[in-house]
Amino acid sequence: MSDVEIWIVIAALAVSTAITRSGFWLVGHKVTIPRRVQEMLRYAPSCALAAIIGPDLLLDPSTQAFTVMNEKVLAGIAAIGWYLWRRNMLETIVFGMLFFTALRLLHLF
Amino acid sequence: MSDAPDVTTHDPAAWRDGVKTGIPTLFGIGAWGLVVGVAMIKSGLTLPQALGMTLIVFAGSAQLASLPLIAAGAPIWVIFATGLVVNLRFVIFSALLAPHFGMLPWYQRLHLGFVSGDISIALFLQRYPDPAPAPGKLSYLKGLLYPNWASWQVGSIAGIFLGNAVPAEWGLGFAGTLAIICVMVPMVVSRPALCGVLVAGAVSVLAAGLPYKLGLLAAVLVGMVTAMTVEELGDKFAPATGKEERQ
Repeated sequence: MSDVEIWIVIAALAVSTAITRSGFWLVGHKVTIPRRVQEMLRYAPSCALAAIIGPDLLLDPSTQAFTVMNEKVLAGIAAIGWYLWRRNMLETIVFGMLFFTALRLLHLF
Repeated sequence: MSDAPDVTTHDPAAWRDGVKTGIPTLFGIGAWGLVVGVAMIKSGLTLPQALGMTLIVFAGSAQLASLPLIAAGAPIWVIFATGLVVNLRFVIFSALLAPHFGMLPWYQRLHLGFVSGDISIALFLQRYPDPAPAPGKLSYLKGLLYPNWASWQVGSIAGIFLGNAVPAEWGLGFAGTLAIICVMVPMVVSRPALCGVLVAGAVSVLAAGLPYKLGLLAAVLVGMVTAMTVEELGDKFAPATGKEERQ
């Protein structure tokens, strides 16, 4: 791809960001969302967050094979435990990264 | 809806509160940005292109999805469509946030929407689930969004300049996953929410092979429907609690 084409791609992606993130902010107040849909949307953020991390935790990055026993899943479970105990996000991230790095360096998987 | 000046008036306490709430997530966001920055340089973008992409596009997963397409010389409209689909979850997020800030001028809504991120919106909605006007709301949102944007850009630009210096096997991107876990756990306190999250996670893994990251959207939809179904069943079996006004 030429330099100009890549800049066009970058501009196009910026437009896609604006449409998806700001579209509803611009016209949404004129649109009435049915109550039923609104109730469903309450569950959207947590489901989307789960959908973002699901493949990262459960799929092998190189082969895309499904794996339950890997360092990310174990570190993720340990991090959930730490968070439930301490309720502190920064501590949880540091602990989770240390746990993950330890498992990685031990070559258990 | 009447104009509510208390929403738009700057509230330093709410601003600080928003910043404080977001601070723990910033490290994960920065690390995530770092990984995307490294990926942009490694995929062959020039320094100005990579800097331009992070500053203008500001969409980590869409950027990551576009890199192999750029390398393969895919048509521009295909890359644009991919960006739209990967970002689709933000349509849902912005639909949730839009009723809170309908009173703002259009350029402010455009700007706030553009700099919003998954985690910031989740944290905001945890604090203000109700779209009714409340004092300090806008300041709280800005306190979440601006540091989030800044830490993403700092991480991403650092990644662009570090380039190949950070070995991929450090797995720095995992910090982003950990940040998401911390935001998600308090959101699944109810049985419907927990079921929705588990199903969404399972579907996202099963549908990961779908093109254009459509599996992500499918997972959100199936997860939401699951949560609603569990909620309805709960209503049906639970003793009357005054919720029966909806059939």
